[in-house]
Amino acid sequence: MIAVLAAAALGAALAAPAAAPAPRTTVVDLGGARAYVHADQASPLAAVELFVRAGLNRQAAGQSGLAALVAESVLHTPVDGIPLADAVDARGASIGYVVSAQHVRFFLEGTPAGLAAAAPLVARALAAPAFDPASAAAARIALAERSADEDGDPRFVGLQMLRGSYYRGPAGLPALGDPGSLGALTPADAKAFFARWYLRGDAFVAAVGQTGDATDAAGLALVKALAPGTAPAAVIATRPFGVESRRIVTHRDVGAPYVALGFAAPSLGDRDFPAALVLRALLSGVFERPGATTQPPVFRAAGTIYGYDTAPAQLVLWINGSRLDPEQGLTEVDTLLKRAAAKPLAASVLGRYKETARGAWTLETVSLDQRAFAVGNAVAHGLDADVTDAVGAAIARVTAADVQRVAKKYFQRFDVALVMPRANEN
Amino acid sequence: MSGFSTSLRAAVSAALLVCGVAGAAGAQAVAPATATLPGGVMYEIRPDPAQSGAAVALWFRAPAGGFAEPAAPGLSRLAAATVSASAPISGTPLAQLVERFGGRLGVAAYPDSVAITALVPPDRVAQTVRAMTADYFAPVVTAPGFAVAQRDVGEDALLRSVEPDAIEDALGAALFASGPFHDGTIPTAKLGDVTVEGVRAFAERAFRPANAILILAGNVDAAALGSVAARSGDTAPGAPEPALTPAPAPRTAETEPLRRTGVVSGTGLGWLGPPIADERAATAMDFLADLLFAPKSGTVARALGGRKATVTGKFVTYHDPGVFLVTITGDDAAAARPIVDKAVAAAAVPMSAAAFEAARAAFVYRLLAAMESPSEVADTYGWYAVEGDPAYAPAEGGLGGRYFSLAAALTPASVAQSAARYLGAPPAVVTFAKRGPAPPKAPA
Repeated sequence: MIAVLAAAALGAALAAPAAAPAPRTTVVDLGGARAYVHADQASPLAAVELFVRAGLNRQAAGQSGLAALVAESVLHTPVDGIPLADAVDARGASIGYVVSAQHVRFFLEGTPAGLAAAAPLVARALAAPAFDPASAAAARIALAERSADEDGDPRFVGLQMLRGSYYRGPAGLPALGDPGSLGALTPADAKAFFARWYLRGDAFVAAVGQTGDATDAAGLALVKALAPGTAPAAVIATRPFGVESRRIVTHRDVGAPYVALGFAAPSLGDRDFPAALVLRALLSGVFERPGATTQPPVFRAAGTIYGYDTAPAQLVLWINGSRLDPEQGLTEVDTLLKRAAAKPLAASVLGRYKETARGAWTLETVSLDQRAFAVGNAVAHGLDADVTDAVGAAIARVTAADVQRVAKKYFQRFDVALVMPRANEN
Repeated sequence: MSGFSTSLRAAVSAALLVCGVAGAAGAQAVAPATATLPGGVMYEIRPDPAQSGAAVALWFRAPAGGFAEPAAPGLSRLAAATVSASAPISGTPLAQLVERFGGRLGVAAYPDSVAITALVPPDRVAQTVRAMTADYFAPVVTAPGFAVAQRDVGEDALLRSVEPDAIEDALGAALFASGPFHDGTIPTAKLGDVTVEGVRAFAERAFRPANAILILAGNVDAAALGSVAARSGDTAPGAPEPALTPAPAPRTAETEPLRRTGVVSGTGLGWLGPPIADERAATAMDFLADLLFAPKSGTVARALGGRKATVTGKFVTYHDPGVFLVTITGDDAAAARPIVDKAVAAAAVPMSAAAFEAARAAFVYRLLAAMESPSEVADTYGWYAVEGDPAYAPAEGGLGGRYFSLAAALTPASVAQSAARYLGAPPAVVTFAKRGPAPPKAPA
C-alpha cells in the first residue's frame, strides 16, 4: 500500500530566514524506494523520471559509452515484437534517457492513460533488457547518430573537452562514448554493467504533471522491475587548476572558432550557489548587444552552461568566434572576473543581474522534463526536493560581498578549450 | 531626422491610459477567461498556478508583406522587432526589459498575423503586460531600433533559409495566385527598400488595440489585465473590424512546378485543405500529418529506412483554406519522393482499427507535448483566435475540450475520406536547387 510521507525540511544552507514556504513536493513510498511527486493538475500530461545510479562514473577503464549503450539498449529491447520506444509511442507516450556523471535517468511521459499503458512495457524491458548482438547494433547506431548531432555543436564539443579536463576518471568521459570505444564494447559488457548497477535500492522516481494513480503505478512498476540491492555512491574527483590555464585544442567541422572556459563552480545546495548564478548572469550578458528578440545561441557572442547535475559542479563559458574575437573575449572575461574578485559590484549592477539570475533560474523548470529533473537532481544530491524554490529566494538575498567572495574562490582559475575549424574549412 | 524626435512625436500621437479592469481579482485563483477589454483588446487567460513561468503574448492580424503593393515579405516581423528594440518615452525597450527579467522575447510572423511573446517569471507579468501593450498600442519607432530590428530580421531569415521553412514559404506561391500566403514571410530584396517611416506606418495601422489578442498563460493572475494600456479614440468594441488581411486567392489551374534556388535543395508539395470552420476535417488533416510525417515514428520516416532524406509534413489551420505542406530534403530526396507519394495515396484507404487506435494515441500525446510551456500554450490560443475559432484551440479544455473530442471521434473511414478529398488531387510542387558558386569575375 502506498503511503504518503511528509517532505523533508529545506536544507539549512538555502533556508530563508523567514518561515519556509509550504513544500510543493510530496513523497510516496514505493515499497522501499521513493517517488517524489510534484503535481500540476492543470497539465494534461503526466510523467515519471526514474533515476538509477548507473552513470558515467560506473564505467571501468576502456568502457567509454557503456552507460549510454546500456540505456539505449533498454529502449531497443523488443516488447511485443517491436522496440520498446516504438511500443511506448503507440500507447500515447514517449521515453528517453540522459546519462550524467552519477546517474542515468529514464523519462517516461504521456497522457495519464498513455502512461498507464506504457509503464508496464517499460518495466518489462527494464526487467529483462535485450543485449543480443542485433539489439546492441541498433543501439550503437542510435548512439552514433546522437553523438554526431552533438559533435556538430561547438558549444558541446568545448563542454566535453572541459569535462574531461576537470573530472578525473570515467565521470569525465563523453556521455555518449565515441565510435571507437562503442565498437569495442560487447554485449557481455552491457549485460554485466546492467546487472551490477541497475539496482532498486539506489533508484528513485520523480513524478510530475497530472500525478495520481497513473504516476504512482508507473513509478512502482519501474522501480520494482529493477533487481534488489544497492551500491554505494562513488565520490567524483576533480583535477586541481594550475596557476596557468590548461589549454586544449581540437579541430572540427565548425564554421568559426569557439573558445570555452571551464571553472570549478559551487554545487546545488552549496551556500555559494546563488551568488554563482548571479555571476553566471553577469558572464552571459557581458558581450550582449541590444537586440529586438532573444537571440538563439548561434547568434550570441557568449553563453554559459552550468553543470549542476554533478557535484562538484562545473560552469562553462563559451565564446562564439563568429561574433567576437576569441582572444579579445578571453581578455575581457579575465578582466571582468579579476575586477569582480577585487571589489564589490555596484548596487545597480548587482540588482540588475540578481533580477536576471532569479528570472532565468525560475524559467529553467518550465517543461515537465525540466521539473522532473529539478526535483530528482535535488534528491540525488541529498537535498530537499523543493530546493529549486529555495534557490530563487536565496538569489534575492545575495549581497555584493557574496558575489565578490564567489568570484575570488571559484572564478579566478580556469581551463580553456579551443574548438577550431578544420584546416580545409573557410 | 533623429531617432529621438521621431520617437517623441509617435509617443504623443496616442494618449495612453490603463484599463482598470479585473484589478480586483488580486492574487485569487483565476478561472480561464476569454473576453474583450473596454479599449477593444480581446484577451484570453489560461492560468496554471503550478507553472514556474508565465507567457504574455500579443497577436495581431496583419499581412506579412505589408498593406501596400507590391508586398515586402518580412515587413510585419521587421515592424514588430523595431518596436521591441526601440526605446519608448517611458524608458527601456521591451526586448531589454524582458532580458533583464531573465525572460525570453520572441517575434513570429505568419502570412496573415504576427505574434510577440514573452516568457517571464510570474512576478513580472504585470510589468510585461504594461510595457508590451503600451509599446505596441502606441508604437514608437526609432532609427536605432530599426537598425537593430533589421539585423534581427536578417538573422532570422538566415536561419530559416537553411530549414524546410524556405520550401514551405515558397509553397504559398505555388498554391495561391496572390495575397499574403502567396507572398510568404521570408524577406526578399524588397524589404531593403522599407524605411523607418514605412515601418511606422505599418505599425500604427496593424498594432491597434482593436486588432490585438492578448494571451496570458501559465502562472498568471487576472490582476495583470489592469496593466493593459489602451489607445484613446481607438475602435470601440463591437465596431466593425477593418479587413487587415486580404482573402487568399487559390490558384485555380494546375501549373508547372515552381522552381527556386536557395541554400537548401529539395522538393515541396502542397495541397489546399479544409477551412478552420470545418473542424472535423481540419482535425482529420492534423491527424494525417502526424500519422504520415511524425519524425522517426511516422509512416514515411519508417519507410525511408537508412536513406539520407528528411521529410516534414504539416497541416496549417488557416481561416480559409487550410494548407497541407510537405518538404523533402537531403541527399536522397529524389528517392524519397515516391515513398511520400505512396504513403499519401495509401492514406485514402481506411486503416485497421488497431493501427488507427495506436496512431491516434500517439497523435494526441504529441500534440499535448507540444503545448507544455506557457509560450506554447499562448501560441496555440493566439493562432486559433487569429484564424477565427478560439474555442477550437487544442489547448482549450484539455482532453475534454472541443479539439480532442473531435480527435476522439475520428474513425479510420473519416480520416481516409479526408485524405481522399484533400490529398487526392495532384499537389502544387516547388523544387529548390542550391545556388551555384558565383561566376568568376572577369579580369580587370
